[in-house]
Amino acid sequence: MIKNKALHLIFVSLLTAGTAAAAPSPSGGKAGMVPAAYSINGFTAADMPYDVGGAALLRWLASPSDSADTVYQVFVSTLAAGGWIKADEFPSSAKTGKDMDLPFWAWDGHKAEHAVKVEFNNTYGDIPPGTKFQVRVDALRDGKLLAQSAALPVAPRGNWFRLDRLNNLVLLIVIVVIFFWAVSHAKRKGLFIRRIAGLDAIDEAIGRATEMGKPIYYVPGIGGMSSISTIASAFILGEVSKKVAQYDSYIKIPHYDPIVMTVCKEVVKQSYLEAGRPDSYRDDLNFFVSQDQFSYAASVDGMISREQPAAVFFMGYFMAESLLMAEVGATNGAIQIAGTDSESQLPFFFTACDYTLIGEELYAAGAYLSKEPMLLSALKVQDFGKLVVMVSVFFGIIAVAIGAKMHWDSFVQVILNLFKAY
Amino acid sequence: MKFIKKTIPLLIVLVVGVLTLASYYVPHKYSVDYLELMNKWENIVSAFAFLLGLISLFYTHYSKISRKVDGWGYSIFVYIGFFAMVIPAIVCHGKQMSDTGQTALGWAFGFIYNPLSATMFAVLAFYIVSTAYRSFRIKSPQAFVLFLAAFILILGKVPLGQIIWHSALGWTGQGVDQVIEWIMSVPAVAGKRGIMIGIAIGAVVTSLKIIFGIEKQYMGKD
Repeated sequence: MIKNKALHLIFVSLLTAGTAAAAPSPSGGKAGMVPAAYSINGFTAADMPYDVGGAALLRWLASPSDSADTVYQVFVSTLAAGGWIKADEFPSSAKTGKDMDLPFWAWDGHKAEHAVKVEFNNTYGDIPPGTKFQVRVDALRDGKLLAQSAALPVAPRGNWFRLDRLNNLVLLIVIVVIFFWAVSHAKRKGLFIRRIAGLDAIDEAIGRATEMGKPIYYVPGIGGMSSISTIASAFILGEVSKKVAQYDSYIKIPHYDPIVMTVCKEVVKQSYLEAGRPDSYRDDLNFFVSQDQFSYAASVDGMISREQPAAVFFMGYFMAESLLMAEVGATNGAIQIAGTDSESQLPFFFTACDYTLIGEELYAAGAYLSKEPMLLSALKVQDFGKLVVMVSVFFGIIAVAIGAKMHWDSFVQVILNLFKAY
Repeated sequence: MKFIKKTIPLLIVLVVGVLTLASYYVPHKYSVDYLELMNKWENIVSAFAFLLGLISLFYTHYSKISRKVDGWGYSIFVYIGFFAMVIPAIVCHGKQMSDTGQTALGWAFGFIYNPLSATMFAVLAFYIVSTAYRSFRIKSPQAFVLFLAAFILILGKVPLGQIIWHSALGWTGQGVDQVIEWIMSVPAVAGKRGIMIGIAIGAVVTSLKIIFGIEKQYMGKD
């Protein structure tokens, strides 16, 4: 009887111990006993390269015992022991070394390993520089802990170079070199620039306004001074207002952005000076209307309807107000010349305006009108850029198609990495 | 004098331009802090510039009223509208809602500003119709292509158009939806991407012209 009781006690004790080993708290509590068959091998924790300094890179070898229901949990802590917080959870099929979104020249990842970027900011908010963290990985199946890595220390730090953007930097350097070559070349020889009908029509539009004794409206759009199209618009305004001053016509420039207005005032003033008509310049040629999109459109529409200008220029960045203004100008019979890099608004300008500058033509307009060799030479760089794109697209399509057909995965990956923005 | 008026501003443009460009390749905290600082400066400059804009607005409309130019009556509404929004904003400390419900500023937004803004946006629908009418007058081969694409899209979006398509072109086996999808995803995207590539390259070159002082018209010429 005693022997039977002792056997029962031993059996119950073994069962309890087995249960405790198989089901410790998976939620990041204290590490429990784990089966010896499953382990997390080659676990390393290092600073995440090419980042601002708030993340760590964890790597470990994929286990051959991984199955579809195996899950990894990543824990982080700021304490030397305990205080674990779950930072990430993913199935064992995800986040392999190959899945890291980095190019081949900046990353050597394999399918047979896991690589996880842990962003401490997501867990702890803004972290002071030099903060040290502990990281740990748990492997679970059906909510039961299979294995647990050792806790490793890691101190993220800011990096000084985005090696993953090397392709971008190389392209930039090439463009800068060609830019300077083109500028120096322009000093020696003239360059052929194709005619742009919309810009050739500026003289006609200003001449018509002068003959009719009606004003010219120049609408610089709703972009700020940090918008490239607004900057290009200011350059065009300089040339247009110079011609207006020469013809002794009258220009009005309603503004959406006060900073743009301030810059445009200087540009117009300078143009009147260069045209030898400083006496014709008035400070109220440029005036602020509203910084609300539809209030601006309503006001400009009202002015166009009342004053019926002979010519209207829409140059810069536009959104939904493009058609609201261009249609009113067309209804009033004005010659309209538009230019924008907002491709969604181009169709409206095409239909409502007499001439439309498409995207890059807007950027080229200032140089085209000024006819300064230094500025004209920069157009050659644009042409070179387009040539690079065309050649890259042509040969890229062929190379990727052949690579895909022949199953040269690494080759295709190299091509895709080279032309991807990181 | 030229040193102060030209050289120093060009140097500032060069230094700030190169630093901003470099910050794209430098992920360090210094780089992030620098960009944040620049954004703060831009906001401060914008705030002061807005004051300049307000002065310009008031001056323009004041001169219109004083000279009694055509439509000077509209200029009075600029002042009325300005005070109708600013006075409630000051009284309500800029809050649209309070514990007791909607404030005067909230009312002004809800019952003056929003309806006017929505009305202006709604006018767009009528302008689209008149623009479409103008563009449908086929004057060139390009206009014909535009008309054809637009006509197919209209057919596909209107139930009656779909019935017409099926009765007239049903024998081809191609649904109008498939044709629309092809137009939108092949020629339209191809054209759009071409424009976008040109814009991107143009933006790079324009930026380089400004950073390296080739284009300096914005600060007057020598």
